[in-house]
Amino acid sequence: MKSSQIYQDFSPIQNRVQIVTILIEVLFLVLALYYWKVQILDYKKYWKMSEANRTREVIIRASRGVLTDRGGSVILADNQGAFNASLIRENCKNPKESYPRISRLLGLTEDELEKRIEKYAGQPLFKPIVVKDNLILDEVSRIEARKADLPELVIETEPRRFYPFQSLGAHVIGYMQEPSPEELRTVYKDRRLGDLVGKTGIEAIYDSRLVGVDGKAVEVVDSLGRRMDELSRVEPNPAPKLRLTLDYDLQAKAEELLTGREGSIIVLEAKTGDVLALASFPTFDPNKFINRFTPEEWLGLLKSPDTPLINRAIQGLYSPGSIFKIVMASGGLASGAITDQTTFFCGGSAEFYGHPFSCWLEGGHGALSLTNAIRYSCNVYFYNIARRMGIEEIAAVAQKFGLGAKTGIDLPGEKEGLVPTPEWKKKTRNATWYPGETISVGIGQGPLQVTPLQISAMTALVANRGIRVRPHLLRGEDSSPGKQEAGVSIQSGVFEKVIEGMWRSVNEQGTGQAARVDNFNVCGKTGSSQTVSSEKAEKMAPQMKQKKTHAWFTGFAPRDNPQVVVTVLVEFGGMGGATAAPLAQRIFALYQDKYDRQKTASRN
Amino acid sequence: MIDRKQLREIDWILIGLLLVNSLVGVALIYSSSHYLPGNLFLRQLLWVVISLAVLFLTISIDYKMLLAYSPYILCLFALVLFGLLAFGRTIAGAKSWVRLAFIGGQPSELAKIAVLLVLARVFSEFRRPYLTTGFAVLSAAVVFVPVGLVALQPDLGTAVTFLPLLFACFLLAGLRRKTLILFLILTLAVGLAGWNFLLKDYQKKRLTTLINPSQDPRGSGYHVLQSKIAIGSGGLLGKGYKKGSQSQLKFLPARHTDFIFSVLGEEFGFAGVLLVFFSYFLFLSRIFKTVPKSRDRPGMYIVFMAACLIAFQFLVNVMMIVGLFPIAGIPIPLLSYGGSSILTTFIAVGLVLNVKMRRFANV
Repeated sequence: MKSSQIYQDFSPIQNRVQIVTILIEVLFLVLALYYWKVQILDYKKYWKMSEANRTREVIIRASRGVLTDRGGSVILADNQGAFNASLIRENCKNPKESYPRISRLLGLTEDELEKRIEKYAGQPLFKPIVVKDNLILDEVSRIEARKADLPELVIETEPRRFYPFQSLGAHVIGYMQEPSPEELRTVYKDRRLGDLVGKTGIEAIYDSRLVGVDGKAVEVVDSLGRRMDELSRVEPNPAPKLRLTLDYDLQAKAEELLTGREGSIIVLEAKTGDVLALASFPTFDPNKFINRFTPEEWLGLLKSPDTPLINRAIQGLYSPGSIFKIVMASGGLASGAITDQTTFFCGGSAEFYGHPFSCWLEGGHGALSLTNAIRYSCNVYFYNIARRMGIEEIAAVAQKFGLGAKTGIDLPGEKEGLVPTPEWKKKTRNATWYPGETISVGIGQGPLQVTPLQISAMTALVANRGIRVRPHLLRGEDSSPGKQEAGVSIQSGVFEKVIEGMWRSVNEQGTGQAARVDNFNVCGKTGSSQTVSSEKAEKMAPQMKQKKTHAWFTGFAPRDNPQVVVTVLVEFGGMGGATAAPLAQRIFALYQDKYDRQKTASRN
Repeated sequence: MIDRKQLREIDWILIGLLLVNSLVGVALIYSSSHYLPGNLFLRQLLWVVISLAVLFLTISIDYKMLLAYSPYILCLFALVLFGLLAFGRTIAGAKSWVRLAFIGGQPSELAKIAVLLVLARVFSEFRRPYLTTGFAVLSAAVVFVPVGLVALQPDLGTAVTFLPLLFACFLLAGLRRKTLILFLILTLAVGLAGWNFLLKDYQKKRLTTLINPSQDPRGSGYHVLQSKIAIGSGGLLGKGYKKGSQSQLKFLPARHTDFIFSVLGEEFGFAGVLLVFFSYFLFLSRIFKTVPKSRDRPGMYIVFMAACLIAFQFLVNVMMIVGLFPIAGIPIPLLSYGGSSILTTFIAVGLVLNVKMRRFANV
């Protein structure tokens, strides 16, 4: 009785247990199906994700090609290992919490950090963003110590550009900067985020040759990003070194001479066009630009009134002043406007087209031959040549001498200058050309504009008796003697006459006598170009008038077998003979000391 | 207390299944912690041995006696849990640990056994065909004392695992259709209220990331995502023992505890998962089949509750690690590392064996 009661009692319970058991069986089945979906159907997707988790591709940066001087032993641009702090946003659990910590750790304001991250907002989250570069070792160890709780902050190493001589040759070498995301998308497509690219100078124009091939390593990492193993490795391939034509000693001397002034000194090897020195002052230290984040300093340089970033040698536009008399003399002889026997009388001034034109020497030079006109830089003589030639002829000769066109030097940003013609005036100012302007152009004034490098190339052309050279900075393939460009269609006898005048200017108490070097036969021409209009200059006191001119000197040596061309421009330097010629003399002397003696010694 | 006839009735197959699953656990713990100090797999093995001894101790005492003392046992645990809240040290965010000399454990795990016994005793007295509201509230009150204390530690995961005990009793006592519906509505209401007033932010986040784990890969969805990657990348046959990159390189969180099954999925693939599903299913269904074999109502309640307790934790865990359930911090009995959990499961199985071997005994 008791037991039957129990069994009656139990049957509903058994049913309920049965239902639960079936429910659990179904659940097991459904779960097995779901695991089948995850492990079999979605296998590929999760396998890829697990591979992405466990492996990391690390770029091993190739070092940039080293730049040396012409000897190959003085390194002008080198590479050093440097540490960067980079942020991987993907690893960042809570930016609100970690960004303030990171900025404190790196010594940045939160604002600066945000801006740096903001810059790369469009980049994939796993790409490291450099937030501070060139870390000191102390900073590196402080970051490494917090690796576990700040997995988003990593240390990366990169070979970093380093200029051992700071500002030496800065305008030639150029500087490096991080490209904008826009530039990365358009110009530097093959570059990676955070790469630095050459922005000016050699660094920019030979950028693609200076970039090595980066290496790559695939590493196995744990969840904290710690390297556990390496799966594969491709070593980086550094770019070969580039040998420049610069001569360290001449470049250093040129910059030393310019210190405290504004201007430019260019030294060319006369026969090849090798640029031995190209200095522009004031200058800057390109090392400072490699810091990715010093916008204040950079803006400061950009806005500075003495424009240190401008390469005055190729970007500065000046009136050539009396330097242009070289062109006038050559053109006058070549065109038949004068002969080497032609003399003119200088009485201190002369009248042309109803206007008086003065010579710089108030008392006048008296009767002068061409060579003496060059020697004393007499204005009146060249006014007369100008009147005889006319502006069209003058312009044609100036263009033959390379003025009004880029020299083709391997530097970015070269300016063309200006050789004025009546058509030019009609086109740009919608005015007719006055004959009086031709007279002004005759002594290198008026709208005429040249760069110091153009003057240098022009001087080389004269020194080579009509054979043109292209100034260039890369030694080797580019500077083989066969590369000399075609000559101008002017008889070499013409050049001999002009060179005679230039030699006298330096060696026989002419305006360029301050450039004289014993036993080196320097030939040269001075210039003092007006920086304000002649009407204004007339009203100024004589000392002020002097102060307001740019001082020029251009010349070469030795006279018969020209080796070196030196061009000096000092802005607002006063008289060319007083300011520019002595600087050129120091360069000639150094060149003679270094190269000419060597040659004579080897000959003996 | 124990005679030869009863010894012959011991379900050795169930003990065998229990040990097989425990040893699978030890092997997985070795794979997921061999690089950590402390030889966790050896400790687990030691716990299995200790628990086996305790299991035999459990079957030697007639469950009727255990039921008789159950209210006192529960009171004792309630006191211990209360003491923990008052004096316990916070370890891993919760005051759940007790250390006695060289051995440490979580009393909240063992408290489940006490609750189980008390519920079995209370419900066996209930003789109506269907559960009444008054009785339901009364029995719930008994359970909510320890559950509340555990939830305050705060160890929400463990607190939740008490609930299947109560619900198992309700089911067995009989639920009318309308009661079931009422239960569903009540659960929903509690859920809504909890979402708005009770749950902490991190708990809410766990629930939202269930829906979209990749939306915040380093946040709370990270754990689910890494677990899914581990399991999914295991494929059919797995990456091999101790060769799972997700586990060995520590992308997987709580590898030897809550996510031990993910290690299985990664290293042994779908084949391994099916095999463990199968052996666990055999183990569970053997317990469920014991329910109708019980001699009396308390025995049935004991066995059914033990079955539901283990089944609930297993199912919730394997759903949790593939993102079908919020991350609740519920380990898998027998597989996950943890002495208290192993001991509790062995005692529960011991109670099942206890009931089964005494099914022919005369009162």
